[in-house]
Amino acid sequence: MNITIDVKEMEQYTKVKIVGEIDAYTAPKLRETIFPYAEKKNTKIVIDLSEVSYMDSTGLGVFVGLFKSLNANEGTLQLTGLSERLRRLFDITGLADIMNINSEVEGGV
Amino acid sequence: MGFRDVMHEKYKEILESYMEDQNEQALYLSQKFSRKSIEYKISPEEIISIHKTALMELEAERSDSVMPSFDILLEVMMGYGLAYREHQSLRTIQQELKSEIEVAANMQQTLLGTQIPDVDCLDIGAISVPARQMSGDYYHFVQDEQGAVSVAIADIIGKGIPAALCMSMIKYSMDSLPEGRHEPYQVLESLNRVVEQNVDPTMFITMFYGMYNTINHTFYYSSAGHEPGFFYNHETKEFEELYAKGLLLGVDKKTKYRQFEKRVDVGDVILLMSDGVTECRTEEGFIEVDTLIGYIEKYIHLEAQEIANKVYKELEYLQDFQLRDDFTLIILKRIK
Amino acid sequence: MDSCVKIINEWDIVAARQLGRNVAKDLGFGTVDQARITTAISELARNIYLYAGQGQVCIEKTEAVGKTGLIIISEDQGPGINDLRKVMEDGFSTSGGLGAGLPGVKRLVDEFTIESNPGEGTLIKAIKWLR
Ligand SMILES: Nc1ncnc2c1ncn2[C@@H]1O[C@H](COP(=O)(O)OP(=O)(O)OP(=O)(O)O)[C@@H](O)[C@H]1O
Ligand SMILES: [Mg+2]
Repeated sequence: MNITIDVKEMEQYTKVKIVGEIDAYTAPKLRETIFPYAEKKNTKIVIDLSEVSYMDSTGLGVFVGLFKSLNANEGTLQLTGLSERLRRLFDITGLADIMNINSEVEGGV
Repeated sequence: MGFRDVMHEKYKEILESYMEDQNEQALYLSQKFSRKSIEYKISPEEIISIHKTALMELEAERSDSVMPSFDILLEVMMGYGLAYREHQSLRTIQQELKSEIEVAANMQQTLLGTQIPDVDCLDIGAISVPARQMSGDYYHFVQDEQGAVSVAIADIIGKGIPAALCMSMIKYSMDSLPEGRHEPYQVLESLNRVVEQNVDPTMFITMFYGMYNTINHTFYYSSAGHEPGFFYNHETKEFEELYAKGLLLGVDKKTKYRQFEKRVDVGDVILLMSDGVTECRTEEGFIEVDTLIGYIEKYIHLEAQEIANKVYKELEYLQDFQLRDDFTLIILKRIK
Repeated sequence: MDSCVKIINEWDIVAARQLGRNVAKDLGFGTVDQARITTAISELARNIYLYAGQGQVCIEKTEAVGKTGLIIISEDQGPGINDLRKVMEDGFSTSGGLGAGLPGVKRLVDEFTIESNPGEGTLIKAIKWLR
């Protein structure tokens, strides 16, 4: 039950790559790592989830919180590389309709 | 090199020095040794064995009394004595907490208790098992005078006490909905406004709300991000997903919820569940939907409550009796 | 006999223990109680050495109605302790869960009082009665 979170501040956006499982144990670490970025004005955060094997509702909670916080600060959130399982999770919860989500991994830029 | 590799040597050195002239410094070093050995989880019986080995090795050179060696042993065991006492005191505290939580869990049961409605045309069963002492799952039945049976099933993100507290809030907002019949989408929309205002932004709730009209035998339902239920068609013997989609409660206060409907014939079964059912994880991974349906199918001919109990037993067994998430399963079977 | 030991470096802890052991022996404490007393002294002296830089530990005979005992007085003008309640909680010390530290000292003795003011220092009195 481990997670590694890699944050890179690029010129136009903040790139985050998460590897591992996002559950009740790892969610606090994820929240602590990413939230400070979301509290700045006008940030764009792109999160690569292609190597996230599992996410439970606590993990989903982190993304909802992140999304709300970014919205409040005029920022945007983009999630990429979702597996079919994750995609379904975001679909059922209606989050796929309000968040910017795609299953492809963001290439280059 | 780790402590384990050098502890024998170290102990022997201390012992040797103390047996020489019974100096206080050796005893101080013993105390430090004691801390270290506890830190490295060396058990008390191991210490005795280290002591014995060291004595034997030293004995080769000297044959005077071994009595002073016990001072060292005593000093080293001091730390264990302290750790033992702290352990006892922490255990008392833990027991107190446990009984407090038990009281709270009982209160929760009373607070959230719901009666399964008694209607001629429906056989209803429900099972809800918390993963820990307090549940973050919630279900509730309401029966109105015009013969409709409503059912709510909700899952609060997270488990344990925070989830339980949040659930009490949901319960009260449901109770304070104005009198009269409410369409499922209306219920979700008004709850959504309450949750949006009152709950921490990282906390959210999924809810499925359904209303069974016992006159036209139609099931009306809406979902706020909740795990879709299943529908069993008695005639074709097939299962389908009770498809519904809608945003989680508490994300956006202006959310509108769509309402779906399903005609129910005699023998058809509606199954509603929390994600503890579908997200059931075993050593090998998640159970597949097909596996789950397989279990349900096996028992679908039984009475509703029996189906719920049996399916729970199967999944419990599959997970080695260690629930990772709260588990709730509700079954509505049309019998007339 | 000088009944106080100045604590400046780690070896002064040994001296304080030695003093404690001598007094305890003279008073007639058994070996287990001697070990308990010296462990308590060690903990207090180590805290002075680690957190206050310097201070002193005094060990004296003390008497009350019908009983005799040994009192350990640990005193320093160091930074003091901010949250005494926290510090006295089990599992709080840096060695957390090993039972040592101030709560451990309190368990080893029969009476324990602590006074500490941030910026002013710390005064701890611990008594062990002869049984
Ligand atoms: N004489 C002192 N002066 C200032 N602060 C002190 C003093 N004694 C203790 N403290 C503070 O109180 C805390 C708790 O002390 P305690 O001896 O219980 O545990 P510890 O020293 O942290 O760990 P341990 O003794 O188990 O190795 C210390 O971390 C320190 O911050
Ligand atoms: Mg200490």
